[in-house]
Amino acid sequence: MANARPGLLRRIVRHRADYLYVAPALLVMLLVIAYPIYDTIYLSFFNTPPNLALEDKIFIGLGNYQRILGMDSFHEATWNTFVWTVFSTLFAFVLGFGAALALNREFVGRGLMRGILLIPYVISAVAASYIWRWLYHSDFGVIGAISVAIGLTENPINFLDSTDFVMASLIVVNVWKEFPFAMIMMLAGLQTVPDQLLRAAQVDGAGPWHRFWHITVPHLKGVTLVTVLLLLVANLNSFTIPWIMTGGGPAGASEIWITHIYQLAFGRIRFGLASAYSVILFIVMMGMGYFYVRALTKGDAK
Amino acid sequence: MAEVRLSHIVKGYGTQLAVNDLSLTVNDGEFVALVGPSGCGKTTTLNLTAGLIELTGGEIHIGDRNVTDLDPKDRDIAMVFQNYALYPNKSVYKNLAFPLQMRRTPKADIDRKIREAARLLDIEHLLERRPRELSGGQQQRVALGRALVRDPKVFLMDEPLSNLDAKLRVQMRAELKRFHHDLSATIIYVTHDQLEAVTMADRMAVMHGGLLQQYDTPERVFEAPVNVFVAGFVGSPAMNLVPAQVTEGGAALESPQGWRCTLSPENARKARAASSRDVVLGARHSTITLSPTPLPGGIEGRVYTLEPTGDITFVHVRLGNDTLVISTPPATRFAPNAPVWLGVDQTKLHLFDAATGMALRAA
Amino acid sequence: MKRRDPWRIGGAVFLAGLTIFALLPMAWMLITSLKTQFAALQYPPQWLPKNPTLEQYSLLLSPGNPVGQEFLRYLFNSLWVSFASTVLGVVVAVPAAYAFSRFRFPGRNLLFYSVLLRNMFPAVVFLMPLFIMMRWLGLVNTQASLILTYLTFGLPLSIWLLKGFYDNIPVQLEQAARIDGASRFQAFILIVMPLSSPGIIATAIYSFIMAWNEYVYALTFINNAERLTLPVGLQRFFTEYATNWPGLMAASFIMSVPVVALFLVLQKYFVRALTEGAVKS
Repeated sequence: MANARPGLLRRIVRHRADYLYVAPALLVMLLVIAYPIYDTIYLSFFNTPPNLALEDKIFIGLGNYQRILGMDSFHEATWNTFVWTVFSTLFAFVLGFGAALALNREFVGRGLMRGILLIPYVISAVAASYIWRWLYHSDFGVIGAISVAIGLTENPINFLDSTDFVMASLIVVNVWKEFPFAMIMMLAGLQTVPDQLLRAAQVDGAGPWHRFWHITVPHLKGVTLVTVLLLLVANLNSFTIPWIMTGGGPAGASEIWITHIYQLAFGRIRFGLASAYSVILFIVMMGMGYFYVRALTKGDAK
Repeated sequence: MAEVRLSHIVKGYGTQLAVNDLSLTVNDGEFVALVGPSGCGKTTTLNLTAGLIELTGGEIHIGDRNVTDLDPKDRDIAMVFQNYALYPNKSVYKNLAFPLQMRRTPKADIDRKIREAARLLDIEHLLERRPRELSGGQQQRVALGRALVRDPKVFLMDEPLSNLDAKLRVQMRAELKRFHHDLSATIIYVTHDQLEAVTMADRMAVMHGGLLQQYDTPERVFEAPVNVFVAGFVGSPAMNLVPAQVTEGGAALESPQGWRCTLSPENARKARAASSRDVVLGARHSTITLSPTPLPGGIEGRVYTLEPTGDITFVHVRLGNDTLVISTPPATRFAPNAPVWLGVDQTKLHLFDAATGMALRAA
Repeated sequence: MKRRDPWRIGGAVFLAGLTIFALLPMAWMLITSLKTQFAALQYPPQWLPKNPTLEQYSLLLSPGNPVGQEFLRYLFNSLWVSFASTVLGVVVAVPAAYAFSRFRFPGRNLLFYSVLLRNMFPAVVFLMPLFIMMRWLGLVNTQASLILTYLTFGLPLSIWLLKGFYDNIPVQLEQAARIDGASRFQAFILIVMPLSSPGIIATAIYSFIMAWNEYVYALTFINNAERLTLPVGLQRFFTEYATNWPGLMAASFIMSVPVVALFLVLQKYFVRALTEGAVKS
């Protein structure tokens, strides 16, 4: 904005009444969004005392960043975060898209079906976590009981207490919770595929697979991009399910960035360290944010 | 009612000018149509007059007031929109009442004026309905009613008929014209349909690319278009326009397609005024005659296809790569590809300078 | 036309499987909530409760006993916090969304994209500075802290959703109103507001559900049992009555009922709210 167009000031003055509409929102956003971002970056350069007497903080430059990047638990959490985010997104998208395709035709009870499939998405993540903890329960869990009953395993699997199974178990819960989101996004996208094109292709002799691949799929590029990005972001940011179900355990096997940050900040009261951690996460997010805004505004502003 | 004066108005978006130095005066009680293809700046001009968008430059007067910097509500105008813009959550009665309420008209007066307008427009039985329960023509009348209840100085109309089906459009055209006559209202009417402009307006302003091309009575615009654009835009089917070159010192025209046409002395004088040899020859469909046998001085062409419309049959004739449309009596029968000879009425011929596009005048 | 299309059959099978996957956990929640504690802790489990009982529900919902008192207090707190933050968010978001939809003031795009970008930031990034801020404002352990912080996600989202609704209201309606004698602000209040009420309702419900389900801020800012909201309250229940799975499931069910009911009734708006903007043809 250095070389502002001539008359920018005049335009601002002419539109001064417009700003009144956004002013309250702007004020709130500054207070609860802009200031916190600034404060996080600021704190990330300090060693903060564990009693939260922030006036005693010590400036240590990039020291917090060096410490984090050198922590074994950070490397482990990074790998876990990667697995968690990628697989949650992948499965949620595949299930959601499949459901959207199956729902994208008229049949009796379609609205009801859509409603039922959306319920996991709307219920509280806390409730969902407890429901699944109960389903996974090592002694009385229904999933373990079923797998024994149909002869899959001899004894109930210890889903949440085993370092081998815990991540997969959590991802199942997460996919259960968010595939409906992918479903309605893709369903909405499917409904914008012009019928005429599909019919024209049908008249031209294209089978269902060709119609899908050559007309539907290209048309869904934009929605897919937005949906996948939103899923990635949501998964990278998810806290409740891992926190309530395992708290990052056992032995850090389900620790992801977010739970790790929370643990550092409010378990061990290391605000400086946790802030630096947040900034790292933040940088990853900004990269995705760039693509998100680009995908959303493509075609909006000429 | 009042006159409207637009003086050198300019509207720019970034570096593009949607309206470029346009000046025109609409007399008190006059019906003026702003006409042109989409994107020509006609709707922008109307919105500027209404005050819905801000001028980049120039001034607007309504009556003897300078309204350039006034809000729409203070300009004392009424507007009818293409999509009617009826308030969907209000009944017809409340739609009509809204402009009066905004002006703090006493309740009794509001009711009286609404009844009056409703009677005039024959919508009395619709007053309690919602807009979505009305047909297109009824919505159109309500929109008109909302404009006229408060006796504005000027009526602005933005393609008010284009959402109606063809039959209703013809009927509403007549009603609007009658409405203009009865109220002796000042009306500025935007349309992309030159036929609407020609049939309804006292004067029409033809716009293209943000510029005013010609502002005159429909007859004059039809008979003496100032340039190739206006010639091609006004009239249906469009005027036949074919490129040609001046030869023999202006006595004749020659086409790269191989035909030749001798000019009358009057037209020869016009041809000599051209800046180069290249001109555009214009002839309306009704000013050319067709003959199945050779005509003296006629141009030979080939029949491409026929379009019978009932009372007139349009014959498309190819002269090399150029196609002309010529109207003939309905009984005419030509076979495709048959040779025909064209006779041109020299008194109705138009000549344009190919370089500037401007009509050529006898020097 | 009605020949057996393998795609169709495949779709139906897939859909049936997915429905079972979606519904089974909820069905098991409901079944467990109808059992006695003793019946819940059996192996192999009772697939259907042998002696179904509503004792957990009556325990949770009757103010006469300590458990019920606690639970109803959380429920009430959740209602209050969600309601207040929704109202506040919508009141602030409506004019802003309208301005973003209609006006072309300098800085509009920059501001709007920063609103969008908020969706990118994890709650945890805001947690520490907001916690410090709340301490400084003396709001830790108050519901005001939650109402205020819920705006961090509620406001950007509401602005984004509402802008979509305003974009769909023809601008000619306001132009007509302005020509009919209304000022810009009157046109907004008298014409646009009533028309956008479905959008406002949809947006309000969406942010209500978000606030109702919010967990991290509530967990961090409030540790006074008097003021807890349901999600954290549920966690507290779990620690206190660790083996009372039927009670926990009943509580989860009660907690889910309002959002699922709101959602099912207004499914159309809700779906539109979620997909608004992302799907532009």
